Amino acid sequence: MNYGFNSEELAFRDEVREFLADYADLDGFYCQGHRWPEVRSMFSAMAQKNWLALTWPTEFGGLGKGPVHEYILWNEVAYARAARNPLAAGIVAKSIIRYGTAAQRATWLERIRTGDIHFSLCYSEPEAGSDLAGLRLKATLSDDGTCYELNGQKCWQSYAQDMDFLWVLARTGTQDSRGRGLSLFICDKAANGVRVAPLPTLDGDQLNEVFFDGVRVSVEQRIGDENGAWSIIGEALADERHIQFPPGRVRRDLEDLVAWLNDHDLGHDPMVRERMADLAARVLETEMLGRKVLATMVAGGNATVDAAMNKIIHTTVCQDIARAVLDLGGPEALVTGNRPELIWRQSLTETIGGGTSEIMRSVVSRQLLGLGG
Amino acid sequence: MDFDLNEDQQAVLESVERLLAQHAGPARAVALNRAGDYDHDLHAALEAAGFNQIARDLARDDTLAGLEAALTVEAIARSGGVVAAAAQMLVAPALCERTIEGPVAICTVGELTQPTPVRFAAHARSLLVLDDGDAYLVSPAPGTFEPVRTSFGYPMGRLSEGASVEPDREGQALGAGAADTLRNWWRLGLAVEAVGTMDAALGHTVEYLRQRRQFGRTIGSFQAVQHRLSLCAIEVEASRWLTREAAFHNAQPEAVAAAAAYALQAADTLFTETHQLSGAIGFTCEFDLHVWSMRLLALRQELGGVGAARRALVEARWGAA
Repeated sequence: MNYGFNSEELAFRDEVREFLADYADLDGFYCQGHRWPEVRSMFSAMAQKNWLALTWPTEFGGLGKGPVHEYILWNEVAYARAARNPLAAGIVAKSIIRYGTAAQRATWLERIRTGDIHFSLCYSEPEAGSDLAGLRLKATLSDDGTCYELNGQKCWQSYAQDMDFLWVLARTGTQDSRGRGLSLFICDKAANGVRVAPLPTLDGDQLNEVFFDGVRVSVEQRIGDENGAWSIIGEALADERHIQFPPGRVRRDLEDLVAWLNDHDLGHDPMVRERMADLAARVLETEMLGRKVLATMVAGGNATVDAAMNKIIHTTVCQDIARAVLDLGGPEALVTGNRPELIWRQSLTETIGGGTSEIMRSVVSRQLLGLGG
Repeated sequence: MDFDLNEDQQAVLESVERLLAQHAGPARAVALNRAGDYDHDLHAALEAAGFNQIARDLARDDTLAGLEAALTVEAIARSGGVVAAAAQMLVAPALCERTIEGPVAICTVGELTQPTPVRFAAHARSLLVLDDGDAYLVSPAPGTFEPVRTSFGYPMGRLSEGASVEPDREGQALGAGAADTLRNWWRLGLAVEAVGTMDAALGHTVEYLRQRRQFGRTIGSFQAVQHRLSLCAIEVEASRWLTREAAFHNAQPEAVAAAAAYALQAADTLFTETHQLSGAIGFTCEFDLHVWSMRLLALRQELGGVGAARRALVEARWGAA
């Protein structure tokens, strides 16, 4: 048993830290919606090191590294609050590598690897949030079989306002086919009939609604088989489990809170210290669970349950730290834009986005505990 | 034993709710909060209808009508009204012999010496200041407080740079015992506002979960969701009865401390659960839940929050440490 990293992995971590020193003030993890040009620029700089393709096979231009390196990279990026991991190099590229045709790989992978294009995930809909298999956005194949027409609406898309392409999950089967009747498409955000509308959110940023009105997408932009998307998105999700909720973010939240408490001379209060000790233990809990996800993946196992447990605890600890920020910060913590308020604000959606805590608990109860229903 | 409102109390409640239906509501609260404004129109309507003086006007045998005033404040909180109702209707009548000019804000002297955000301070014509053993009434000059940007549902202000307020020099001392009176009625006001606000947040959430369907059924039909909402409902109801009892006894210290300790803790539960169970839409500005939910967190920041209320309860019941 060894929870740590080997010397080569530690050297890579040091290299990542050195790179991130130039982005200490970027704040893209919390504020990507307001800092996208700068975040995009950092991704381009990462691409210079080929880090966007860190784990891609070498035959597709990647570095061929394993999940440990990927974990180290995005955990350090989260700790530095520089950015969240980009979907294009992860979910999108890995799906194309696994299921794309040779032509699709040639068309998309290099552009993603170099950081030239970025994607927004278009899965959820107004009536399909937790119940994703119930989505309704319709993709209809043309009579001549050359293209699909997309009609419908997506909802709650993060960062769609800034991205170049959309990774669209659409219904190609009957409505009652549920997950068996879905297909994946790449859609240019600038295509005729695509409209992105902001949904302002309480964290001062925005989600988006994305409307598709007769949007034509060529068959070459369907990734994988028609009606075959369910397993593709499942596998893509599995590929990303170790980097979706990196504990570096939580550790940084705690450290920022401690610094703020010391700045305000609150660090000597026994009640405060007791609370901080509890939070420190909980941050260790998230680190252990985060590494357990990684260890399962390294061993080639199925990390579904590990990832669900990690997501539940990671996001809850985010909110527990945020609650402490408000409780200990007093009225000053209510002022828009100061550090305690920002930590609190950014914890709001964590237990919802990327699969709600309730869905994750169901995964644990069914798949770990074997409870039916 | 009687938990029901009497006819007069029921009439007060219905009357203020009719007024609020015309002059308040979440859409109005959203617009005012976006601009950081105070609802002077609602304030004037409440004044004209006599609600701002209700605790004194309905007093019997020189005993303030605390419960009637609390019912009014609770209803205003439920409506999302952007007025300093608790300070005006509960705290000021308990402290000041004559009616004071509104809007009224309340703060501690520490929040003046180390300028801190204070609800309604940027709009206040009267300021009630709590010092350790004293309480003061101050009439701040325009510009004494500057608005603070916040998304927590109330207009807030902080002492402007270069400005100062020295209550013991420029304010009116409110007499012996005034500090305790101010502390208790302020705490009562926080509990009352929390009750109305929690009530509305829970109601909004339940209504949504009755409609919202996933997996072929309404979210509210899932047993795990029902259980959590039931616990929320219990906490709101318990907060309501503890708080009304404290109001009925005109802010008796132990009753107030118990009500505030309980209600302000419940406020955290209600924030967390109503947002979590509403899902993604609950975090969008278009869904009105935030009108109430964000306020719950702001209320928890005043007068030392839950921790101070708990310490006050221990002290009231078992004496000072």
